[in-house]
Amino acid sequence: MRATLMTCRPSRLGAMALLPLVMAILVALLPVRPAAAADESAALAEMQRKLDQSLKAIAALTERVHELEAKQATSVAAAPAATGTSAPDTARLEAAEQKLEQIEKANANRNTDDTGLPLHGFADVGVGTHNPINPDLKGFTVGNLDFYLAPRLGDRTRALFELNTEVSSEGAVDVDLERAQLGYQFSDEATLWMGRFHTPYGYLNTALHHGSWINNSLRRPKFLQFEDNGGIMPAHTVGLWLTGSRHLGGDKILYDVYVGNSQEIVDGALDMRNAGTSNGDLSGGGRMGYQFNAGAAEGLTLGVHAFTGRIADDLAPAGATRVRSYGAYAVYDTDQWENFAEIYLFDNQDLGAGGGTHHSNAGFAQFGYRSSWGVPYARYERAALSQYDRYFLALHGGGSYDRIALGLRFDLDLKSALKLEIANTRLTDRSSDEYGEGLVQYAIRF
Amino acid sequence: MNLHCPPWATRQATLVCVLLLAAGSAAAADGGGARLDQLPQQWRDEQGQALAFTDLIGQRVILSMAYTRCHSICPATLGQMLRMQALLDARGEQASFVIVGYDSDIDNPASWRQYRANRRLERSNWHFLTGTQPAIRQLARQLGFDFWTYDTHIMHDSRIVIFSTQGLLSAAISPASADWSAVL
Repeated sequence: MRATLMTCRPSRLGAMALLPLVMAILVALLPVRPAAAADESAALAEMQRKLDQSLKAIAALTERVHELEAKQATSVAAAPAATGTSAPDTARLEAAEQKLEQIEKANANRNTDDTGLPLHGFADVGVGTHNPINPDLKGFTVGNLDFYLAPRLGDRTRALFELNTEVSSEGAVDVDLERAQLGYQFSDEATLWMGRFHTPYGYLNTALHHGSWINNSLRRPKFLQFEDNGGIMPAHTVGLWLTGSRHLGGDKILYDVYVGNSQEIVDGALDMRNAGTSNGDLSGGGRMGYQFNAGAAEGLTLGVHAFTGRIADDLAPAGATRVRSYGAYAVYDTDQWENFAEIYLFDNQDLGAGGGTHHSNAGFAQFGYRSSWGVPYARYERAALSQYDRYFLALHGGGSYDRIALGLRFDLDLKSALKLEIANTRLTDRSSDEYGEGLVQYAIRF
Repeated sequence: MNLHCPPWATRQATLVCVLLLAAGSAAAADGGGARLDQLPQQWRDEQGQALAFTDLIGQRVILSMAYTRCHSICPATLGQMLRMQALLDARGEQASFVIVGYDSDIDNPASWRQYRANRRLERSNWHFLTGTQPAIRQLARQLGFDFWTYDTHIMHDSRIVIFSTQGLLSAAISPASADWSAVL
């Protein structure tokens, strides 16, 4: 662009030659909107008036420039060579320089907080031999369009909103306020959030959120998918969440405690009861971890987590389950390795007529290597879920299975990534189906 | 927007075009024209000692921004800076290398001290700085480091800026694509 501009040749056609350019600028500056004919006439008249004013101003300026040029030529010819500027001129120049410097500094220090809230987010699309969530479908898929807002409200007040437009496994477009949480940071060691947040269990649910781009793998483990994609854990809680960390030498202790509305199972999926519960039941839990930041264990985090809630369902006859889940997680996250594993044990008590306690378990391990050309990864996941447990029986995704997946992430640039995954899944109780998948995902951030 | 100048353009038209171009450049916030003495000056290094950018005027300054928990872009940027250091060593030239943390909560002096130790970045001309979040945002804006936070993740690009011995910005490069050896 700069080179093109340098080729512009000044002509002597006068101010009228500016007409098309000025018109173009004015037209470009006018807001684009549909208008009635009368409005258009008025707008054209107003534009003509502004144009006339602009032309007059340009003509006056042109005349002034010519006048100054003529005066300068005369004074240069008439005056003897100046040996230096006079003292008042020097003082004036210095004052002007100082003023200019002040303006430059003020401009440099200008705070941008008043320029509005920038909109950021993620999006992804894909293609595969099966839909990554619903294996009954195949072909091209639209993933998520995820908008993320975290306005800065002050030193201690925090806010976070995530609005996700997603295509369900059946193809319907849904818009979800995935997270809406307001928080107050008491110190570096404690922040209290209220609203809808990602339930702090394991590692993945609070480390990798809805934006696919941040996840090196193409998808989450099947049993840890979000609720409307068949997940068996309540990925979201509406309630209170206290979180923080404390340094222990170079290492860190991480903690989370939360309480919220008890989730319910509606149409085969967990519902986090955004507007409250009819029975006042609460769910709650906690997580504690230890992060090694030095020595041979640098990058390693080990932790435990627990969750409990009375979760009602819509099976006939309607009932409820006291869900008790506890488990552990391990993460090894370094410049070369991204490895993590999680295990979940269930000790669920049927609160209906059937009674009894049922034991189930699920877990996964994923290994990834950050090479200069991409991130290859391998994941094994397995869920052995009792089908006598009404909690799993009521969930669409409550069947047992195992899956092995191999994948690869290429970063096309700093804002877009191409991910490939091949996987083999065996369903081990509701059906004895087995299927292989080849998936491609194109994910971006913006 | 088409900025091609038509043949009838006058001197004033050129001026208007240049002004438009200047406005566009300013909006791009590429850090053009920045000076070390016009940047925020209140920083602490990994030892917790106060450090101002003006303290570094007199030798070249090679500056980037990073965060300690980044395992993808930041290590690659740091790798490029290490290669720059090696090139300067081979030439027998001096420079200060400065890394400013994106996150004032996480990238504190203790974190940077550990980061240096873990990566054996012990040379005294390398400075890992912590500042207040407003100072970090201002520095990023002035030097064209675009970033935003997604929970504990920081979304950012890879960028290195180089200041001359007089403290004037002499180059801003994307290490992945630029031939940075030419600007050193």
